[in-house]
Amino acid sequence: MNKEIIGALKQILGEDAVLWRPEDLLLYEYDGSVELARPDGVVFPRSTRDVVEIVRAANRYGVPLVGRGAGTGLSGGALAPQGGIVLVFSRMNRILEVDYENQRAVVQPGVVNWELTRAVEHAGLYFAPDPSSQKACTIGGNVAENAGGPHTLAYGVTSHHVTGLELVLPDGDVIRVGGKTFEPTGYDLTRLLVGSEGTLAIVTEITVRLLPQPEAVKTLLAVYDAVDDATETVVEITARGITPAACEMLDGWTLRVVEDYIHAGFPTDSVAVLLIEVEGLREAVEAQAEEISEVCRLHRARELRVARDARERDLLWKGRKNAFGAIGRVSPSYYVQDGVIPRTKLSVTLQRITEIGQKFGFQIGNIFHAGDGNLHPIILFDQRNQAEFERAAAAASAIMRLCVEMGGALTGEHGIGMEKNEMMPLLFSEADLDLMKRVHSAFNPAGRLNPGKLFPSGKGCGEIRARPLPVAASSQA
Amino acid sequence: MNAPTTALTRLEGIVGPGHLVTQSAELAGYEVDGLRPAAAVVPGSPDEVAGVVCFSASEKLAVIPVGGRSKLCIGAPPQRYDVAIDLTRLNRVLAYDPGDLTLGVEAGIRFRDLDGVLAAKRQFLPLAPAFADDATIGGILAANSSTPLRHAYGPARDYVLGMEFVTGEGTRAKSGGHVVKNVTGYDLHKLMIGALGTLGVVTRVNFRTFPLPRTQTTFVAAYARRENALGLCRTIAKSPLQPRLVEVLDPQAVRILSESEGGAEQPRLPAGQWLVVVTAAGEERVVERHAADLARMAQATHAAGFAALTDNENKSLLGRIREFPKHVLGFSPAATIFRISVLPTQMPALLERAQQVTDRNQIAAAALVRASGLVFLALAPPALDDSTLARLAQTATELIHASSSSDIGGRPIIEWCPTELKRQVNVWGPARDDLALMQRVKKAFDPQGVLAPGRFLGGI
Repeated sequence: MNKEIIGALKQILGEDAVLWRPEDLLLYEYDGSVELARPDGVVFPRSTRDVVEIVRAANRYGVPLVGRGAGTGLSGGALAPQGGIVLVFSRMNRILEVDYENQRAVVQPGVVNWELTRAVEHAGLYFAPDPSSQKACTIGGNVAENAGGPHTLAYGVTSHHVTGLELVLPDGDVIRVGGKTFEPTGYDLTRLLVGSEGTLAIVTEITVRLLPQPEAVKTLLAVYDAVDDATETVVEITARGITPAACEMLDGWTLRVVEDYIHAGFPTDSVAVLLIEVEGLREAVEAQAEEISEVCRLHRARELRVARDARERDLLWKGRKNAFGAIGRVSPSYYVQDGVIPRTKLSVTLQRITEIGQKFGFQIGNIFHAGDGNLHPIILFDQRNQAEFERAAAAASAIMRLCVEMGGALTGEHGIGMEKNEMMPLLFSEADLDLMKRVHSAFNPAGRLNPGKLFPSGKGCGEIRARPLPVAASSQA
Repeated sequence: MNAPTTALTRLEGIVGPGHLVTQSAELAGYEVDGLRPAAAVVPGSPDEVAGVVCFSASEKLAVIPVGGRSKLCIGAPPQRYDVAIDLTRLNRVLAYDPGDLTLGVEAGIRFRDLDGVLAAKRQFLPLAPAFADDATIGGILAANSSTPLRHAYGPARDYVLGMEFVTGEGTRAKSGGHVVKNVTGYDLHKLMIGALGTLGVVTRVNFRTFPLPRTQTTFVAAYARRENALGLCRTIAKSPLQPRLVEVLDPQAVRILSESEGGAEQPRLPAGQWLVVVTAAGEERVVERHAADLARMAQATHAAGFAALTDNENKSLLGRIREFPKHVLGFSPAATIFRISVLPTQMPALLERAQQVTDRNQIAAAALVRASGLVFLALAPPALDDSTLARLAQTATELIHASSSSDIGGRPIIEWCPTELKRQVNVWGPARDDLALMQRVKKAFDPQGVLAPGRFLGGI
């Protein structure tokens, strides 16, 4: 990288807001994914004005720009595979406004997800998207990836909670889309931008909806001796039209690893557990909990526990939300997958994933959002062994093909990024991708914002390079 | 267009004999703001739709996709209009998995027919459009028809999972998928909602469906004063209650709905009062809890009356609220309906200012409020003559100005109005700084301006 641009950035932002020494950049060459890519420089803007100046400098020198929140993303969204400048939003972390009456907040992108809830909970409000990383991840990152979480089952992903954005476009223009009111005038650009993975614009301000805290919450743990009994429970809960706030499943292997570390109280001799939460009006919670209990028993749950208080509830959720940390203790590396399938196909899909694990010689754990069919198979491997890494990538690819074959999607909440961009043709035709590319060009004509993400490179790369499934394959399910 | 016979023959070649309309009398039914197309085609497959658009692009013809034709007067007058693409033959359910609560339909299916299919499985879509007997799914989404059920289920964009459509170049494309949670690629289908057919001709829509509630009861609280009626809405919003809908009718709206067709058979709504309509749904004990809490809240906000409706009354009232635009259009030949997105705290000021404007211009007006953030303001003068039109234009201009002023911060559009008014007032309200981006998005989908040119905001 040109030393001049580093000099220019220092002039704009000051010495303490620019990193450029190789040893300083190391920290920014990875995120929560299995990818690695080192930027040429890292900057810490303090304001929209700073972002505009950074964008203009990058334009003068023709270098890529990549936004980064906490770096917890799982698809490589915050990495710089083509080099360039990474904008870290940790200094743009102010809650600018809370409108309690209208249940809105205006925040900078670097505000940590959990911090927003903490700031408004005294008024009985909270911010609904709750990715497992919510104590670290930023709302800017949530917006870029359209993040989900266990409770999206009832409340929807990030896009359901964003009403407006302030953007810096690649030419340095600052534009507002949407606003505090519910309905935008004209095309719903806010909804397009949320989940666009930083490829269309740099978001510098976010207006979100806050929800009133539920009056009552009940958390149930259902314990099973067979995986199919657990999945059939989920299928029937869905089919009966009950929408719990969350419905999570852990398979036997995963719950044992978690229990060893967290001691959440998962019975280690079981084959699967469901963690089901219902919340809302007291009477509704009671009615739903009763019916869910009935469905669990109908499908041979051997034990049904209800958390007696907030402490027990928190412990169960700690087991769920810290599962990845637990897995990190037993394997040098792990690769978290994120695929979606129709909920009626849970049993057969889990069976096929086990077969894929056997075929490629990996332990694959399953801990996922069963209620909306959002799978998170976790492949355990050793990244230091190149051959094993390639085999893990091949197993991941096989799992994704399976999700598509089942009529599902490549990602439910983690994003495409540089992880699955080569797989996009599994779902989308050339015409579909060409249109997305045109929309991309409408915002980001020079392709300088987060390049190398979301779209297939067209270069191919061995096993990972995907080819569309023949149409007949989807009927085999 | 001065339809050259060869062009018409080519179009007929694409959709097949019997599916091309060229008779003037029939074409009258496809008029948009007084503009009559030279032909209407009724394609039988997405490929035929693509063929028609492709041909139109090559011949520089302008097309407008239509469904039940109940909402063609929404939007600015088209700049050009040569061919109507009538989607009502694309009316099949393509995939319905009640166990997964997902559904894929062709865009031309009528809402009523689809509602029947879903009801057989005790499910539904939270769309509740005006002109429900005619409206098609494609048209409802193109117009982003408002629904009272938004209160509990969110806007359509939250439960539309994916779409297939034909771009302005006649290319078939899709986005999204068929599962309830999906962030794969750009959500182009969300842009189609409310785009009035200016980005693509939608041929298929995938939805998340919802279970019908086991029981539901509607409550009506009557008020002498606007502040108190809106006060009940605020109290509900801050409570743990989770009603399906919360709507407010002003006395004039009550009168229009009471005098509407079928209204007379029903027990009279209390005249001269503001009504707050709240529906609770779910298990019986949930509805009972709503009944008890709402009664207490109504009393605390000085309601003059509070009652639960019978099932029949409930059905009738909700039906009439859903058909509010239809009833206003039946009530006044110059009906002009504003749709104003506004924060709940600004509603009292907005309604106050609106009343000042309509009183000053001596225009009869009615208001229907969706408590979560939408105000429908209907101007309903008894005649459409030149002097009325002049006063309407003046009123509309003042209302747009007042509702979008910085202290109220609303987003006004005029959803329904006489074509004559559109020549004097921009129905899309004031332009904002994202217009240039929207124009670029339009170019990406429709570089030649084939799709409904001029109907959208900013001349898009």
